[in-house]
Amino acid sequence: MTDTAVTTTGSAAAPTGTGSMGTRVIGLAALVGAVFLVLLGLVWSPEDITQRELVRIMYVHVPSATIAYLCCFLTTIGSVMFLWKRSVWWDTVAYAAAEIGAVFMALACVTGAIWARPTWGTFWVWDDARLVTSAMLFLLLVGYLALRKVPGDPDVRAKRSAWLGLLLVPNVILVRQSVEWWRTLHQKATIQPTQLGAEMDGLMLFSLFCGFVVGTLVFAWLVIHRFRVAWLEREADESMLADAIAERRAEAIDSGTGGDPFGPRTGEAFG
Amino acid sequence: MSYVLAAWIIVFATVLIYAGATMLRGRRLARQVPPERRRWM
Repeated sequence: MTDTAVTTTGSAAAPTGTGSMGTRVIGLAALVGAVFLVLLGLVWSPEDITQRELVRIMYVHVPSATIAYLCCFLTTIGSVMFLWKRSVWWDTVAYAAAEIGAVFMALACVTGAIWARPTWGTFWVWDDARLVTSAMLFLLLVGYLALRKVPGDPDVRAKRSAWLGLLLVPNVILVRQSVEWWRTLHQKATIQPTQLGAEMDGLMLFSLFCGFVVGTLVFAWLVIHRFRVAWLEREADESMLADAIAERRAEAIDSGTGGDPFGPRTGEAFG
Repeated sequence: MSYVLAAWIIVFATVLIYAGATMLRGRRLARQVPPERRRWM
């Protein structure tokens, strides 16, 4: 199946979807990487001394949370750029990244809860700073998406969303630092920039690294596709509006109002 | 191991469904937009 239609003259026409050569390459690399990650994470890597088999959940949980943070960074950057430059392109980037961020934040919370059940004896606790700030970040992303759906002037909507988008990065910092600032049930970061992987077995660390690589490829693929979908949504709306105005104008000409869609204006009507 | 499998299946299934839905949405929308306004390069 191809994403590009070919005209009868043989030249490539506009794409019929959101795919391109670049996204196909990234998608293929992500698929190959995902197969390798499954083998590495579920078969080849050893179990942990204390966590046993449950350590394997970390290979999808930690990359999911990292992708969500990356999306939050992208949304905040997009929001800043929109407020600064009033650029539709950056507003679309922010919107696309926020939706993907919400999906991966939900995955991080769900996989974390699955890990917590056999480890802590419960899926969720409300007095843990990491868990509560993560839930807050997810709700903030959902709120951002809800704001994008509010009907009204697109520019006003984009401006309001951008102000909300500015709150995402401070929230990510809060989530990241919560285990340092408060005493929590959730453990501190295993990988510290100063002592990279010193507490992890080599193959476990490699599995986690592969999780990050595959996650980054999936993130890139999704952001490009979702950006194009958002762009097409905007174009479809504008195209529909242009058609409606043209139709209304044609009706006005037919009814003899001289092309004015609002009809004849008389002195009486306007006082 | 059931917890591990549950976590992995949820992550992979969600990402695949979301990616598929995004592509389908793109294809549907592309039909509504004139060809000259949907070029990526």
